[in-house]
Amino acid sequence: MSEASEETEPASETEFLERYSMRVMTAGVTVAAVLALLVGGWLFPDTIVGTFADVISSENTLSAALRLSVPIAFAALGGIFSEKSGVINIGLEGLLIISAFTAIYVTEVTGGVWIGFGGGVLASTLLALLFAIVTIEFRADQIIAGLAVWLIALGLAPFASQVIYGGPNTPTVPTPGAISVPVLADIPFFGALFSASPSVYLLFVAVGLSWYVFERTTFGRWVRASGENPKALDTAGVSVARVRYAAVLLSGVLAGMGGSALSLDLGQFTGNGPTMVNGKGFIAIVAYLFGNYNPIGAFLSTMLFAGLDAMQTVLQLQGIGIPRQLIRITPFVVVIIVLALVGRTRIPEAAGEHYESGEE
Amino acid sequence: MRVPDRIQTVLERLVGASATERILISTAALVLSILVGAVLVLVAGRMTTCTASEAVYYFGTGFCYDPVVVFDRLFLGALGDPFSGGWSPDGQFSVTLRETTLLLFTGLSVALAFRAGIFNIGTQGQMVVGGMATALLVLWASSLVSGVVGTFLLVPFGVLVGAVFGGLYGAIPGLLKAYADANEVITTIMLNFIATGITLYLVSGAFKDPNSAANQTVPLPDYAQFPTVLFGGRQDFSLVALAFGVVAVGALYYLLEHTAFGYDVRTSGIQPDAAEYGGVDAARTIVASLTLSGALGGVAGAMYVMMILGSFQSGVPSYGFDGITVSILAGNNPLGVGFAALLFGVLKSGTTVVQFATDVPPQLVGVLRGLIILFVAMPEFFRLVGKRVTDTGSKVVATDGGTPGGEADE
Repeated sequence: MSEASEETEPASETEFLERYSMRVMTAGVTVAAVLALLVGGWLFPDTIVGTFADVISSENTLSAALRLSVPIAFAALGGIFSEKSGVINIGLEGLLIISAFTAIYVTEVTGGVWIGFGGGVLASTLLALLFAIVTIEFRADQIIAGLAVWLIALGLAPFASQVIYGGPNTPTVPTPGAISVPVLADIPFFGALFSASPSVYLLFVAVGLSWYVFERTTFGRWVRASGENPKALDTAGVSVARVRYAAVLLSGVLAGMGGSALSLDLGQFTGNGPTMVNGKGFIAIVAYLFGNYNPIGAFLSTMLFAGLDAMQTVLQLQGIGIPRQLIRITPFVVVIIVLALVGRTRIPEAAGEHYESGEE
Repeated sequence: MRVPDRIQTVLERLVGASATERILISTAALVLSILVGAVLVLVAGRMTTCTASEAVYYFGTGFCYDPVVVFDRLFLGALGDPFSGGWSPDGQFSVTLRETTLLLFTGLSVALAFRAGIFNIGTQGQMVVGGMATALLVLWASSLVSGVVGTFLLVPFGVLVGAVFGGLYGAIPGLLKAYADANEVITTIMLNFIATGITLYLVSGAFKDPNSAANQTVPLPDYAQFPTVLFGGRQDFSLVALAFGVVAVGALYYLLEHTAFGYDVRTSGIQPDAAEYGGVDAARTIVASLTLSGALGGVAGAMYVMMILGSFQSGVPSYGFDGITVSILAGNNPLGVGFAALLFGVLKSGTTVVQFATDVPPQLVGVLRGLIILFVAMPEFFRLVGKRVTDTGSKVVATDGGTPGGEADE
């Protein structure tokens, strides 16, 4: 993808500001809408606004949103590392699928949930390695190779499930129980943050660590340089290929944690149609674009999508007049609206391009 | 160097130098995918259980699935077993042609967008929307006419409806990309989910056939479906539909290679900046290509409804995603799409034969689809292998670094 890159400095500066303010505005509008719903619900508790307000302010919604954001946020963190290093990883969806299946399979064979978790991470990392070799070593088009990763996993996981279990869905395995922090878990609403599945805590740690690695370590600087100005990195004596390998593998590890957590929290892998992953990998891409490649920003925008998803689940249970099939597509519609408002975030200068060391 | 000159050289080099190479790479990718697929079948055969008498033995090890049988069924079975006598046009061969017909349209849809430098992953959704619209509007129109006249009027009408609605649905990501800079890969994938959701809502509610348990529309009368010519029609294949497809291949080839619009599309795909500098309206080209691409996807939907199902049902098979494979395998060349669609038609049709003859899960073809795309995407791999094989005497190229292959990055 060769985008217009010869813009003059001032132009890109104003564009950046425009985009930036658009992002802030979108976030602001979201917060305002939530507040308006809450106030409206408080004033008119018996109307539909009241119901919405109840749903938003319910502890169940927050804990559902946290649970739903786990796979998306992990994949988004992975996507940040990969894309920042210059490799656009559109195959995150495939990494989630393969790890979701493998985690259940390994758990079912060994009986250990955490061994299964590790198995899922390993499967995803191996698939990411394949993607890395193909794009870095053999200069494959990153978008097409990413699509291939998605389609391979989309075929392979139900194929394996069919071979091993005789159907696209696996049997159920025990789930890791929720961890409750005493006292803190009793806080109204925010208590949901302290009474959740281990994967939610793992996510908090991963978000913090990713941010630290990015902003405060040499490796983080290398990753950013590899995506923005590979030539400079090369001149400084650091191998661009190695940094990119590391970043893509890291995206495999992170997405693998998300996929494993997704299936293990439910105790089953379902492989019909788009499988249980159902677009979460693609939503993750939008989440990190909207979060401007910042791990914390990506997590917050994931919470926005997951929050919507959680609300639609709760609304379905309450039997609100909107048909189920239509509520279901709201996250996808929101993704498009967000993308249209934010537009092309400034992707790393060299993302999508192969870097040939010693060329020219 | 003047810009139009530069475009001309780039175009010539891409078209001239790589035609043979493209065919070689696609063939090699296909063979490699089948080999990997065979290994996968063997591995899967170790992971499942069967009795000793059912197993086959290779290298002294027993396997439950036999890749030779699988690929024999996949390819020969799909052609209706031409070597074993009793071949009839109404057998599996017409299923193959039926699948080919749909893949022609979805393949062309993806190819056109690709040539404009746009990744249209949304052919699936455009097909779903086009198919749904065709089912509903043709059903409505079928009460106005009937008989042979009805067929002559309704079939073209249905194709047109599919094209219009698919085109409108394709215009959405086009507009979003052209005017809001929204990445089309993401928007088209999201629109696939949305198309599935909305049609499921419509077909399970307002437009549901009250006499059917399935989520489907009221079936179209026979005269509102593609007529069967020569082939018996037992397998829902119509030669007329295939003819439509062949015409579409020729038309798109002409459009891309011999018209001003085609020139705009191709230059935008190769050198967007240069094309714009040379006077191409980038935004308009994006919207037009995606609309046309969506229209082709919509026609596939119309064919699916008027040739295969006779109604619209939720859960449309993944012809749109297969179209991506077809197009990539064909190097995004309309004429190549013809061959790739036939080949993939064989794979799709053979899947059902494999399912009957063996216990190997049908998802195998899904895996092959991904592998083919992966291998076609890495021409550098095959160039390296080719170099190793041809210049064994001279110094072997280093795996990284070294001189670039001399080909422009695509």
